Amino acid sequence: MDEPALIQTAQRGDLDAFNTLVLHYQDTVFNTALRILGDEDLAEDAAQEAFISAFRSIHTFRGGSFKAWLMRTVTNACYDELRRQKRRPTTPLEPETHDGEEVDSPRWLADPNLTPDQQFEADELEHAIQHCLDMLPSEFRTAVVLADVQGMDYTEVAAAARVPLGTIKSRLARARLRLRECLRGFEELLPSTFRLEGESNS
Amino acid sequence: MKNFRDIERLSSFLDGQLSPADSARLEARLATDPELASAFNDLRAARGILRKLPSRKAPRNFTLTRQMVGLKPPLPRSYSFFRLSTAFATILLTLTFAVNLVTPRLSYVGPINTGWGGGYGGGPAAPALMEALPATEAPLAAPAAEMMPQPTLTADSVATELPTAKGMATPSELLDQPPALSQPSAAAPLETQSRTQSQPPIPFIWQMILLAAGILSGLTAFLLRRSASQKWK
Repeated sequence: MDEPALIQTAQRGDLDAFNTLVLHYQDTVFNTALRILGDEDLAEDAAQEAFISAFRSIHTFRGGSFKAWLMRTVTNACYDELRRQKRRPTTPLEPETHDGEEVDSPRWLADPNLTPDQQFEADELEHAIQHCLDMLPSEFRTAVVLADVQGMDYTEVAAAARVPLGTIKSRLARARLRLRECLRGFEELLPSTFRLEGESNS
Repeated sequence: MKNFRDIERLSSFLDGQLSPADSARLEARLATDPELASAFNDLRAARGILRKLPSRKAPRNFTLTRQMVGLKPPLPRSYSFFRLSTAFATILLTLTFAVNLVTPRLSYVGPINTGWGGGYGGGPAAPALMEALPATEAPLAAPAAEMMPQPTLTADSVATELPTAKGMATPSELLDQPPALSQPSAAAPLETQSRTQSQPPIPFIWQMILLAAGILSGLTAFLLRRSASQKWK
């Protein structure tokens, strides 16, 4: 994929060229939105909104990392969604147990390659991490999702979040610190391979 | 618990964001400070767990359609010409109606006022004023003209109005004359008024031409747009 050429063509209003970029980045954009919002449906809406917004403002892209530029669009869409949620809080439609615990939705049980035990383990981990991510302030969450989940470097994260590099370093450190504390609370829920003590290298 | 400055340094070190000198200093401290080493391991573990989060595939394609982004079909250059001419013809047509509607009414207001003035002023002044005025509506002007001589046909008024007229009929003779004597002079302007009134300032044919031009250019613009959007789809 010749990304610069596609971007240039898309900047002239070519929707097909832009759609090629969409197909290339849609998983990344959706995952970022999912980790920031913690809800698949909202993430889907935010991802779509981000791509629409990106197409409309692609003429403002002045080079550099297109991924970072796209991530900025998706984080903005997520912040909009979070602001909307704050104004109109909603109750989840997930079924609950007698104890008021939320029952996992079938989307957590989607991977057919895992055994039921492995699937359960993975679901528990994902649920716990997402819970801890949800506990973070949105700007910390964005930093940690972009850097640690999406594997972007500091410069890209700073460009996407539109904050100085030093701020990103600080946010990342704080976010990791809080995540560490939060995940400690889930230690007995987490499978042994994911326990903090067990992580000796990354 | 280490201070936040240390945590920030450890976090940057974890991502390889420290300078070689700072990295060397921190590595030396990590070797001697178990609390710092423990904090570093925790940060690394937290980052490791985040990196193990499964990447989900997008549940559907997010490709955009032209409708989604509000793109409009590229229209031919002639489209804007026809659209402009439609608007222009419509404005002109409206103006012609407005002019034709307003002009008679404006001239209608004058004779009524002067008619009353003429009536009070006396019979002979009225026909002269009526002639001087532009054309007006006959049905409305005629009663005004009829009204004018009548108030003057009293003995008192005739006596006061025409006391100095030499060689003219006496008041009693004037009373004997029928009021119709003064009417022929007023009737002539009324006829011309009726004739001129039947022709509006902007002829009807021009309105028809403007209407036809507006409809034709509007239709052409519509067809151009439709064919462009069909081609685009």
